[in-house]
Amino acid sequence: MNKVACIGAGMTLFWRRLQETGKEMCWEAASMALDQAGLTLKDIDMVVLGSAPDAFDGIHMKGENLLDGAGGAKKPYMRVFTGGGTAVFTPIAAWWHIASGLAEKVLVVCEEKMSSCFPHPQSAFGHIWDPILDRPLKPNLVWIFAMEMNRYMTAYGIKKEDIARIAVKNKRNAADHPCAQLPDANITIDDVLNSEVMAWPVQRLDISPPSDGASALVMTSEKVAKKQSDDIAWVEGTGWCIDKTMWTCRDLVFPEYVAKAAKQAYKMAKIDNPRKQIHVAEPYDPFDYKECHHTEGLLLCDKGKAPDMTKEGITYRDGDLPICPSGGLLGVGNPIAATMGIKVGELYWQLTQQAGKRQVKNDPEVGVCQAWGDLMQYGSVLVMRRG
Amino acid sequence: MTFLERSREPEAHKHWYGDMEASYVYSTGIAGERFFSTLRDKGKILGATCPKCKKTVLPPRMYCEVCFSEMGDWVDVGKEGRVDTFSIAQVGVGGEPLEEPVVYGLIRFPKVEGGLVHIIAAKPEKVKIGMKVKAKLRPRKERSGSILDIESFKPH
Repeated sequence: MNKVACIGAGMTLFWRRLQETGKEMCWEAASMALDQAGLTLKDIDMVVLGSAPDAFDGIHMKGENLLDGAGGAKKPYMRVFTGGGTAVFTPIAAWWHIASGLAEKVLVVCEEKMSSCFPHPQSAFGHIWDPILDRPLKPNLVWIFAMEMNRYMTAYGIKKEDIARIAVKNKRNAADHPCAQLPDANITIDDVLNSEVMAWPVQRLDISPPSDGASALVMTSEKVAKKQSDDIAWVEGTGWCIDKTMWTCRDLVFPEYVAKAAKQAYKMAKIDNPRKQIHVAEPYDPFDYKECHHTEGLLLCDKGKAPDMTKEGITYRDGDLPICPSGGLLGVGNPIAATMGIKVGELYWQLTQQAGKRQVKNDPEVGVCQAWGDLMQYGSVLVMRRG
Repeated sequence: MTFLERSREPEAHKHWYGDMEASYVYSTGIAGERFFSTLRDKGKILGATCPKCKKTVLPPRMYCEVCFSEMGDWVDVGKEGRVDTFSIAQVGVGGEPLEEPVVYGLIRFPKVEGGLVHIIAAKPEKVKIGMKVKAKLRPRKERSGSILDIESFKPH
């Protein structure tokens, strides 16, 4: 396989509603990534677009609608979609375009415009359930997470406050992110514990907000990267895995599918001791307990021990293993696929020392990011090393 | 790059209302037909057993997703199970506040892989992970072959 580099990244504001259309957001993010890479659209061989359910934007086949803003017209172009997992799976798809030798310069664009779904994207989420087994019970998206969170907390005897601390860390981190929707430099654990109960044990501030936003990357071959850029991060490993269709047939305590995806990526990256060899991590954090779940799935700590890492200060920007230094979905926002900007994009900026006020202090060489999605059962993992 | 205005209000910018008009009629399927007909007519909850893996799954499927065999024996898994996990919903399907909280749980049955998600008819403060519950079915003449033929699971 050929070596693959990331040499540019860009993202829009994440916000409840942006004035821009989906394709306008794509163009803004893609232009930023191209600028950073010192390339123009003319230089790009192929384009990969990621976006989650059509129902959010309200346009069936939205890949075709977004195509011009993503720069895909008259080029080899594809849209990929693995729900929330799209955020890390889209650059994985771009990686195989280059690793295979098929392309040298790929533009990767992710977009979500959730505010189109009115009054709230909840009504689109409602249609992800099995129409016969689940929907007659009128499920709200939150309570399925609430059941998983309760199972996780009960299995290990984890206190709610130790999970709320994750939301506090990420929303405080987000105060240093110029694109953030829900930053709060002064939030406390009590604020989270006193927020509205949606479906116990999930409260308002345990959840990331729905957002509009887009993000982009420029990924290239080794030859192009070395010619174009001094700020290179190499894609060292990729992995993806999905659990069973039936939610009721899964292990709700440990995300084995994330572990399988991580093992595939670590093997490719020649990482045999992730706790020592990974210096910064961006696991998917749409809920505070999911950061814990995913940190454990990424094999960065023992099962049930992720909340302790934050309690002990390990996961802060000045800690030994910073986790979600971007501010994550909890703080920056959750425009499903476009969270690529705070997962893969953040890892690129951290590894190339371009994260500004968010820069972690441990001079990271290797980082891992992960997204989670489809019907709460999909893990996509990407490992990068600084150039 | 221009961001003309930040807004939390979906209607603050110039906009256009529209619908994606589409209605659906969903097939219950081969396995679903048998599961829901038996629930309606005999008041039994059926699982399906793989002839090769010997595992019984609930809800039943036409095929085994592990070895791809066609399912063999269909077995009555009974009405008694345990609460594997639960949530106390304060908001409804559209995010609207509920007048009374509703307890939803995942119910697992002995020696069966999978389970059923359903309403637990108990006071929220009384529900515990691991507690025994029993399915309460609607009377025969009210049953229509739907998951709602099970009214709820009650502490047992």
